[in-house]
Amino acid sequence: MKKNIALMLALLMMASLTACSSSSDSASDTTAAETAAETTAAETADDEESSAAEEDTTAAESAAAEDSDLAYIQEKGTLVVGITDFEPMDYKDADGNWIGFDADMATAFAESLGVEVEFVEIDWDNKILELNSKSIDCVWNGMTLTSEVTSSMDCSNAYCNNAQVLIVPSDVADQYQDTDSLADLTIAVEAGSAGEEVVTELGVATTAVSSQADALMEVAAGTSDAAVIDALMAAAMVGEGTGYEDLTYTISLNSEEYGVGFRTGSDLAELLNTFFSESYADGSMLEIAETYGVQAALIEQ
Amino acid sequence: MDLFLEQFPIVIRSLNVGFLQTLRLFFVTLIGALPLGLLISFGSMSRFQPLNTLTRIFVWIIRGTPLMIQLLIVYYFPGLVLGNAIWGGGETGRFLAASTAFIINYACYFSEIYRGGIQGIPVGQTEAGLVLGMTRSQIFFKVTLLQMIKRIVPPMSNEIITLIKDTSLARIIALQEIIWAGQSFMKGSQGISGVIWPLFFTAVYYLVCNGILTLFFGWLEKKLDYFR
Repeated sequence: MKKNIALMLALLMMASLTACSSSSDSASDTTAAETAAETTAAETADDEESSAAEEDTTAAESAAAEDSDLAYIQEKGTLVVGITDFEPMDYKDADGNWIGFDADMATAFAESLGVEVEFVEIDWDNKILELNSKSIDCVWNGMTLTSEVTSSMDCSNAYCNNAQVLIVPSDVADQYQDTDSLADLTIAVEAGSAGEEVVTELGVATTAVSSQADALMEVAAGTSDAAVIDALMAAAMVGEGTGYEDLTYTISLNSEEYGVGFRTGSDLAELLNTFFSESYADGSMLEIAETYGVQAALIEQ
Repeated sequence: MDLFLEQFPIVIRSLNVGFLQTLRLFFVTLIGALPLGLLISFGSMSRFQPLNTLTRIFVWIIRGTPLMIQLLIVYYFPGLVLGNAIWGGGETGRFLAASTAFIINYACYFSEIYRGGIQGIPVGQTEAGLVLGMTRSQIFFKVTLLQMIKRIVPPMSNEIITLIKDTSLARIIALQEIIWAGQSFMKGSQGISGVIWPLFFTAVYYLVCNGILTLFFGWLEKKLDYFR
């Protein structure tokens, strides 16, 4: 019985894929059907989180292995960098240009490869999807190197330190100065973020929302008791003179590191490591870090 | 209050840019889906059985799956499965992919409304036309079509009003429409961070736009009210 249902679902999936691709792009029906079979396998694996990412990447991986990612990027002449609007790493200046520590470093890296840089705003939940479907070439946006990230992308060396900090309303901040006090709280976290990981490890109830900003809004609106977000972001977004004056951050729940993610099997991660150590040695990396006030968090390369 | 006044023009400028993208997607979808829907409705009314069945299965699949999934499939599958990112990573590619998904999806809904409109015309009119020696296409264009247009205005206005709100789904493939623009100020954008009101303010844009559409369809209905 179960087998029959699974078979029917697989057939359904194939039928829908064939229908979609035949009308949406020039792909012939047969290839769509063939590939549909592959993806059904990947879809089913999706439930088991860790293996799903690996399954998904196989297609892109085999394609990338044939010719190097560097050659692919140099051929099209652009390094497409997937980002979100995230001060002080990637954000827009008054003229609408992308600036920030990550943005400036990405521009310099692209220059060293002899290609143009293009910044594309992505939905953070879909970063692996974006990467593997080649709509972007790297994720360079203050990305915490979690096990989920390192298993599904080829990552550069860590370049920046970070921590996950607890955000609470200022008037009750003194009650929450250690991890034991969190037990009865409901904590808003970004789905799939490093914050979610640490809070889950503590065994505290979480509310998963779609971004760190949404997590802050939950606290401001009183729908969650607290939130856990990146320290770098917390410093920029809560407290005096920001949009959330009534919120503050208290304890750090862990310490972690930022890295840059590429497609699995990409040769660009190694190139970036070399670029990092060169620019650290000549001081240009520190210079950029100082521009955006993140020099204290910088990691020696 | 001062801070609000300072932020207001920046936010509005950004929301306008986002809303322009929303409107662009709205009109491109209409231009594509209105005629495509008619084509599909012919397919599902065809007396050639295979075409009829295929069209109905297609309509079932498109109407039976969430538009959000369709957006993800259209945008990511070429690169993910075929190894060829036909849309590219930039804003234009995302817009084209979103338009494609919206046109296909809405054409299927429109096709059913058209079919209802066409099949609702009494068969006697077609028979009368045939007796008078008119061809089938003459009967369609000279007798049926105008009556159909009149009948489908209310359900179509319903769909079209839904369409303008549905464009916000394109956010899933990071198309920067108005909801995206509103949300960006929560994370921080152009020096404004942690500001919530722009997201809720986007509703005003939809409301005004749908107000205009409602007036337009009311006018259209009246205009077409010359026979019963």
